[in-house]
Amino acid sequence: MWLIKYRDLIWNLTLTDLKIKYQNSVLGFAWSLLNPLLMMLVLYAVFINIFRFNQENFALYLLVGLIVWRFFAIGTSTAMGSIVGRPGLVTKIYIPRQILVLSTTLSCFISSILEFFVLIPLIIIFGVKISPGILFFPIVHGIYFFIVYGVSLILASLFVYYRDLNQIWDVVIQLGFFLSPIVYPFSVIPARYISYYILNPMTVLVETYRNFLIYGSLPGLRSVLYLILVGVILILVGTGIFHRLERRFAEMI
Amino acid sequence: MAVEIYSLQDKKEIDDNAIIVEHLSKRFRIPHERKTTVYQHIAGLFHGGSYSYEEFAALQDISFTVKHGETFGIIGPNGSGKSTLLKILAGVLYPDSGRVQVNGKIAPFLELGVGFQPDLTAKENIYLYGAIMGLTRKEIARKYEEILEFAELKRFESMKLKNFSSGMAVRLAFSTAIQTDPDILLVDEVLAVGDEAFQRKCTGKIDEIRRDGKTILFVSHALESVRELCKQSILLKDGKMVSSGATPNVIENYLKLIV
Repeated sequence: MWLIKYRDLIWNLTLTDLKIKYQNSVLGFAWSLLNPLLMMLVLYAVFINIFRFNQENFALYLLVGLIVWRFFAIGTSTAMGSIVGRPGLVTKIYIPRQILVLSTTLSCFISSILEFFVLIPLIIIFGVKISPGILFFPIVHGIYFFIVYGVSLILASLFVYYRDLNQIWDVVIQLGFFLSPIVYPFSVIPARYISYYILNPMTVLVETYRNFLIYGSLPGLRSVLYLILVGVILILVGTGIFHRLERRFAEMI
Repeated sequence: MAVEIYSLQDKKEIDDNAIIVEHLSKRFRIPHERKTTVYQHIAGLFHGGSYSYEEFAALQDISFTVKHGETFGIIGPNGSGKSTLLKILAGVLYPDSGRVQVNGKIAPFLELGVGFQPDLTAKENIYLYGAIMGLTRKEIARKYEEILEFAELKRFESMKLKNFSSGMAVRLAFSTAIQTDPDILLVDEVLAVGDEAFQRKCTGKIDEIRRDGKTILFVSHALESVRELCKQSILLKDGKMVSSGATPNVIENYLKLIV
């Protein structure tokens, strides 16, 4: 099994990714935390003054939404380039190529966990009691990891053949951002669209995180099962596509 | 179930063949009009143009076996398919037809320093490159001092790789890669590294590995070293195997070919 045989390499590549990401900037790791905070300030100012949503703890609502969304947006866009961006590791030596996608997704996963850690003091500052529901974080975040990894496998292998996929994906990400309840409350969606709207796994994810982080309720069983189903399907489809396309990677890069 | 064309197995005591290649062929597709974007693919559909490409036969019907402990030479003019063959043996390229069987742990020296990160220190790069070459963390830790000593770079252990000269970087790469302890070594003319003294050291190290009874596949234009090192060789030209057998004969055929 490649996961076990190459575990040292996977871990090494993940750490290398993190080191390079954070050591090149002056504020280093602080940026990855400052960035969502500043984004939240901007959005908060806009949405509080213009749209006037009536949402309990809107600042936290925004922040949780942003941090959840960032893992998907940054994870998939970065991992898409993980094969094309390292031609040497594809054409000069054989390692199972999923490792490149996996290690990139893992490094984004770790960044995301760190962002959530910074969120916890903020939750307390805003006067929200941490509920035992927070114990679900590892489970939900684990499922989320598989969703991002599955999408990344598809994107990374297709990107080898279609080099403008990143342009298209940027637009998809932007669209998804507004099709998920990140900067606006769930309640603004007209009732007749709700049944379609909640099919979006990102909607289910974002709402699940908010429920146990801010609103003190446990994640719904149906939501969790739905997310697991999405994760399993994406991993299967992703692995399938990846293996089909992998054989000509070294010729196409 | 489809039979895998390429198979890699652990070295067993009973089989005496390290590499078996039978009727191996590899074609590259060279599209008339290369489409690398979604836009071009969609535009292509509307033009009604079907996907047209020329096939370029990089290797045709190659067969040979290499015994364990043998040093085997592959020679031929530029563009004859030597590197393609090595890449197939390394598992990087996937063959179209035929059969390739590799019995033992393989270490491809197609390029030294694959995956080196200029922003990391020499120490971090040793661990990274070692892992890429298939060493575990523990093994690297055990051999770490030996690697630095062989590379003669102990003083620069915590310097970032981007501040290394290219010669120093290659020395670091070679010293790390050589520690992988493979059964089979694929060498693609990478030994021309560093200065004269370090080159001699590398040749010495390869020789040591050879005397240890490891299998070496050696691709080179340096006919003298092939003659000296390899008992058996093959000669490739335009993707075909035109000569094989005892090295002196193969070299003689090669010389006839180029005059």
